Amino acid sequence: MNDIALRGRVAYVFAEADFDVDQIVGVEHCGEQDMNILLEVAMRSFDPQFAARVEPGDLIVGGRNFGYGHPHYPAMQYMRHLGVRAVVAESFAPGFWQNEINMGFIPLACPDILSAVQRWDEIEIRWSGRIFNHTRGIELAYDALSPRNRAIIAAGGFIPYLRQKLGNRVT
Amino acid sequence: MGKTITEKILARAAGLPEVSAGQEIAARPDYVLAYDWPGQTDVIFREIRESFGVDRLDEPERFAMFIDHMTSGENPKDLAFHARTRQSCREYGIEVYEGLGIGHHVAGELGYAAPGAFAVHFDGHISQLGAYGTLAIGLRRSLIEAFVSPAVTLTVPRTVRVDLAGRLAPGVMARDVFHQLVDTLGPDSCRFQMVEFGGEGLGELTTDDLQTMGGLAMFLGALSAIVDPPDDARHREARRRGRRDFGHVASDADACYSARHRLDLGTVEPLVVAPHTPRNVRRLADCAGLEVHRGYIGSCASGRIEDIRAAARILRGRRIKPGFVLNVVPTSAAILRAAEEEGLVAILTEAGANVPRSTCDYCYGRAGTMGAGERAVSTGTLNVQGRMGHVDTEIYLCSAATIAASAIEGRIADPRGYLAEDKE
Repeated sequence: MNDIALRGRVAYVFAEADFDVDQIVGVEHCGEQDMNILLEVAMRSFDPQFAARVEPGDLIVGGRNFGYGHPHYPAMQYMRHLGVRAVVAESFAPGFWQNEINMGFIPLACPDILSAVQRWDEIEIRWSGRIFNHTRGIELAYDALSPRNRAIIAAGGFIPYLRQKLGNRVT
Repeated sequence: MGKTITEKILARAAGLPEVSAGQEIAARPDYVLAYDWPGQTDVIFREIRESFGVDRLDEPERFAMFIDHMTSGENPKDLAFHARTRQSCREYGIEVYEGLGIGHHVAGELGYAAPGAFAVHFDGHISQLGAYGTLAIGLRRSLIEAFVSPAVTLTVPRTVRVDLAGRLAPGVMARDVFHQLVDTLGPDSCRFQMVEFGGEGLGELTTDDLQTMGGLAMFLGALSAIVDPPDDARHREARRRGRRDFGHVASDADACYSARHRLDLGTVEPLVVAPHTPRNVRRLADCAGLEVHRGYIGSCASGRIEDIRAAARILRGRRIKPGFVLNVVPTSAAILRAAEEEGLVAILTEAGANVPRSTCDYCYGRAGTMGAGERAVSTGTLNVQGRMGHVDTEIYLCSAATIAASAIEGRIADPRGYLAEDKE
């Protein structure tokens, strides 16, 4: 398998510890399923131009215990809709982390990420556990994903992964 | 090297002589639990049939469905949703429980919380079954694996041990103990790990108390929580009630822990968790006097007989402040019956409280909805913004005793004053 997981820019940095991802869409919209509404309301308090500035393949960066609280799905559905493929954070709340993997998204724990990147830096992530900040010439280690979690992401999520895995056994 | 109770339960469930933290295993759940909720149960039943072609379950008696959400103020859409789930359960031979209260607690009453059992759910608050020595893990959307495959894949978690000592001071409750742990250990202190409660202080806590603490384990970052029984007497009654007897399962004295903490229960004081995140723990004194409009005693975390007794002790012969709304929602129908038999419901309703039948709906604002500008004291699971109604609201989490005292004054108030007054 190609070792390069993705190359893209840091589309936003959410530095706050224990960040509640519902803030991305606004608490009043945390259960919103209509993407047109999410596109209108999300990221308003962070960067109202976010949707226009982000590009497919970009990633977002977070602080310690990212996804704490009671995360709902729409925030990351919105990010994926815009082509954001990964979130690299100092650490993650476990429920959020596994859930995002199950959606085929890439959440990577990298303890030094906040001090090593700024918004719009060019980042390259390798599956083998290295992150390169090409803008600043910095190389970092992250906690590599297990083969199983990589397989879930490669399959596009947990259900397609299970379908592949059980394909021969389930009629 | 010895093993933790978690490693022992998972070894048995995986059919292996032993397992160790960090190892990836396929473990067969003894019980697969769920509550009926859009985006979860409907997706599971649709996917297992359409994507996996599953038309029968392996030992359907391992499965249980609880209808405890969307059970008040139902509209035709909700009724149709629950009806579809009942139909799916009939087709797959899954037992459905409704009208009994909040499933996470009712599971214990019905014997799914057998000591030493391995249970899975999609919801993380199932961790509270750890009070019975059951390893219960919320798998979120991975739960579907338990429906299409005999075992679920997981990594054996490491364990943070919390040794409890001493006894609680009057007016201090298990809820305060949990908030103290979040404050002392930190909201990410147990990430991806188990929290294991042990020590002689366990003797001062009831299983209900430990369910309160264990059910909130996710706010320490934990995968789940479990009680390490000091002897086989602790869970004797639970083993008798259990649907299966897995024997006495406990951690070895030389089990390997990633961290070990000690908490003297006697040092815990009433605490309040300020909005809008469960990590915002404050001393009650720092919030006392703040005007509040609404109180909620209930949820899968609190709302048990001890919570209702604590509220009744303070509200006996007193009235809640006019205009203040106090909803005391027993966690299960059995708890409501017990509260009626003890005369607690009469005390609470005479004081001006509402005591509706058991449901999850007050915890997330479907019932007892908060209006704009309101501030609540709550034993619900969460205080994130808008959790119990309008976005422009604030939720302060605290014990049932603190809520009862606050209901009298219409301000956040210390329950200890009322308890001392009653002694005089």
